[in-house]
Amino acid sequence: MFRFFTLFTGGRKMKPCFNKIFKSVRRIDTFQIITLPAVIFVFLLFVLMLFVYFYNALPAFIREGLAVYFKNIWQASEEPGKEYYGLIAAIWGTVYTSMIAILIALPISIAYSVFVIDYVPKKLKNIFIIVSDMMAGLPTIIYGIWGVFALVPFLQKYIMTPLYKNLSFIPIFSYPPVTGYSYFSAGVLLGIMVTPFASAVIREAYQMIPFTYREAAISLGLTRYETTKILLGYIKPAIFSGMILAFGRAVGETVAVSLIIGNTFNLSPSLFAPGYTISSLIANQFGNAYIYRHMLPVLYAGGLSLFIIGLIVNIVGLYLLRRWQENVRI
Amino acid sequence: MSEYKIRKGKEIAFTISITILTFLGILPLFHIIATVFVNGLPVITKESFTFLTGTFSNGGIGPAIAGTFILIFLSSLIGLPVALLVGVYAYEYPNSIIGKATETLLQIMLEFPTILVGVFAMSIIAIPMGTYSAFAGAFALAIILMPYVAVYTQEAMRQIPFTYREASFGLGLSRIKVIFRVLVPLSKRGILTGVLIGMAKVAGETAPLLFTIGGLYESYPVSVTKPVGAVPLLIYTLVQSPSKGNHRMAWGASLILLLIFLLIFIPIRVSLKEVKL
Repeated sequence: MFRFFTLFTGGRKMKPCFNKIFKSVRRIDTFQIITLPAVIFVFLLFVLMLFVYFYNALPAFIREGLAVYFKNIWQASEEPGKEYYGLIAAIWGTVYTSMIAILIALPISIAYSVFVIDYVPKKLKNIFIIVSDMMAGLPTIIYGIWGVFALVPFLQKYIMTPLYKNLSFIPIFSYPPVTGYSYFSAGVLLGIMVTPFASAVIREAYQMIPFTYREAAISLGLTRYETTKILLGYIKPAIFSGMILAFGRAVGETVAVSLIIGNTFNLSPSLFAPGYTISSLIANQFGNAYIYRHMLPVLYAGGLSLFIIGLIVNIVGLYLLRRWQENVRI
Repeated sequence: MSEYKIRKGKEIAFTISITILTFLGILPLFHIIATVFVNGLPVITKESFTFLTGTFSNGGIGPAIAGTFILIFLSSLIGLPVALLVGVYAYEYPNSIIGKATETLLQIMLEFPTILVGVFAMSIIAIPMGTYSAFAGAFALAIILMPYVAVYTQEAMRQIPFTYREASFGLGLSRIKVIFRVLVPLSKRGILTGVLIGMAKVAGETAPLLFTIGGLYESYPVSVTKPVGAVPLLIYTLVQSPSKGNHRMAWGASLILLLIFLLIFIPIRVSLKEVKL
């Protein structure tokens, strides 16, 4: 037995040999052996997700081609031959509502960041930050139920109806706000929901401005308004990326939007018209898509476009933010 | 002199508009909380205990509450180990290609549309299994929970002074022992905060559950491979129904959901200065 082992180890004793093997195994870090599979698993999961959407959307691309994204038509029919679907209305709704949300979130989040950092006394600062954190984390369905029973009636009565009555010759106000469920309501709710995310980015950036700039501005005898204007110019890229990230959030929001957007296929520039977003379309139609033969792949195609919009928006936003942060750290 | 007056005027206008905009921004939160309490409290006090434990036809949302807690527990069970390992990896290799890619992926997953995760979980779990299940929902929620916990783990470990690392390596410990025996215990508070934030997020998610858990409100869940209910999903279904009675139930359920959220959120705030959700 002993001779048998010495045969393999070239005459040396057995123990040093095992030590050597053990050492070479240890060179492949045990740490990596444990953690790397988890990392690879997450990456694979993400790729698998993209693949699942692409694979399931494929029949729609084969049947309708890329026109599935550019046609404004939604014909669900018992006869498969008559079915035809286009997603442009939903894509339009997604972009339109998210833009409204950004337009609302931009001034509020900038004002909020400036107010919290420059104006609020130190003791109260924490309260403002808690409020913003809570708004960011509040379950979206609570925003949804509040939107349906509080926000929409309010907007319909005090904003949409007066605007329609007095300014309906302007195209964007031309749709009669009968129910209040519309792009506008959804955009306002989304604006409220994404403001804390945008303001978190802007606040952090505003706080990071080197103190010397502030000192210099004040020593020139500038007023607070003029100082703030200069400092905000300094963090412009961060504001931009905060807006992009907020846009990404708004694009992906589902339940709150689907409760108040009205769920109608519409390609209208009118603010008060009901519409659809991609996510609310999926939320609404997925359940009964199995009845029809060709609807499901189209919904997956919608999901794919949402996937890609989300991916691009987030990558661009993160890239800009990171580049700015690197430039600031002197 | 007149120029001074203009500047002074601008300054005042600026201060006023900034104050108004700020309060306009945070007003919705107070209005939401007030509305939920005003509409939800009468529902809960009227039915009192039955609302918390009874089945839906008895005027309660017991199964939904149970379902929500089951989903939080299951998704943590699936998501936490992976999240911890990924977070530790991202901390340990911040400059390698895989490390950088991991960090970016985590940030993207933080912002990812949750409905897509739900549909994904449905197509790879619920459809092959042939039924809606708590497991499919928990899997979707785990994907959502994962990046929060991983990012917080990474951030918490970055706070540890570098000398601790040096000292541990100086003792001749292997990398794995340095990380899991020294650095992770040192940052356990930050990691725990991340876990709570992930749970708070998961507790309120609706979109990933739409096509994964099915919904079960007339009896208590018995198996993870069977459909379950969840409070957010119940609210979503009830709000869409035209009946006034259902709307009242939805308000009650919203109050419960708000309380669950606060129950998880308050300890986070106590342990941490700033929360990024």
